[in-house]
Amino acid sequence: MMWKEKYEIGVETVDNQHKELFHRVFDFLAAVQRKGDWSEKIPKVKETLAFMQEYVIVHFRDEEDYQLQINFPEYEEHKEVHAKFRGMINQYAVRFAEEGFTQALVQEFSGKLMTWLIVHVADMDQRIGAFVREQGGQAQ
Amino acid sequence: MKVEFIEPFVRAARDVFQMMMDLDVRRGELRACEQLIPSKDASVAIAVTGDLLGSILFSFPKQMTLDMVAIMAGMPVDELDGFVISALGEVANIISGNALAYLHSANYSCNICPPQIVLGQDTHLEMVTRKVLIVPFKTRIGEFDIMITLKEARQQVEAAL
Repeated sequence: MMWKEKYEIGVETVDNQHKELFHRVFDFLAAVQRKGDWSEKIPKVKETLAFMQEYVIVHFRDEEDYQLQINFPEYEEHKEVHAKFRGMINQYAVRFAEEGFTQALVQEFSGKLMTWLIVHVADMDQRIGAFVREQGGQAQ
Repeated sequence: MKVEFIEPFVRAARDVFQMMMDLDVRRGELRACEQLIPSKDASVAIAVTGDLLGSILFSFPKQMTLDMVAIMAGMPVDELDGFVISALGEVANIISGNALAYLHSANYSCNICPPQIVLGQDTHLEMVTRKVLIVPFKTRIGEFDIMITLKEARQQVEAAL
């Protein structure tokens, strides 16, 4: 997944976390899609799942804190979307535990993870930057 | 079926392709069809419930599907595997979700069911209207169709009384 300048919202902490998420998900997709023995890819899958479970908590908390700080009007909506995403990640964690890290399930998860990240960064979070600019301030 | 149900999907498709893939989408001429059958290789069917009932079928050529996912992933993609199918289903899901938000502004409150993937062109899907409206779209990486069969739920209730 290519990071694009247009994704930047002008809030350094959030932009850096988004870049890290893009970097990690790209690495994950590259590992999953690489030709070769499936069992060799499982450690990368486990690592990415653990990272996502931990990192999104930090990222969402920082993002929500910033939204409160600037009185962002869509705070509740974003919070709800974040909760849904955490729920999706946790549901897959349960399915992996029950069904195993099968190629089919991991591929399904990777398609959802990729599209979610693009929408989160390229659409939803753009509204934070737009709001700050509307208020005549600079995002910080 | 009201033609006003079409515009929210056109607008949502345009916005989502631009937002997710930086692709311009040009709408072609609307046409009608007697059957709801995939027009291209890889399709996503999404059922709609609530104030409107029916289905939306997104139909893409294989190469376009691969190119769409390659653009999003930033890496070459060469087969319609589980990853590609999952991503395609999500794109159709996001377009439908946005379209429903626009319909909500027009006082139609609806929900969508999880996307169902249909590969090949042999499957006949259930229609709730006599005709299906087909909106063709062109992009620089290929052409795709959105097929729509939607009717107002209250019409069905009135017909049953």
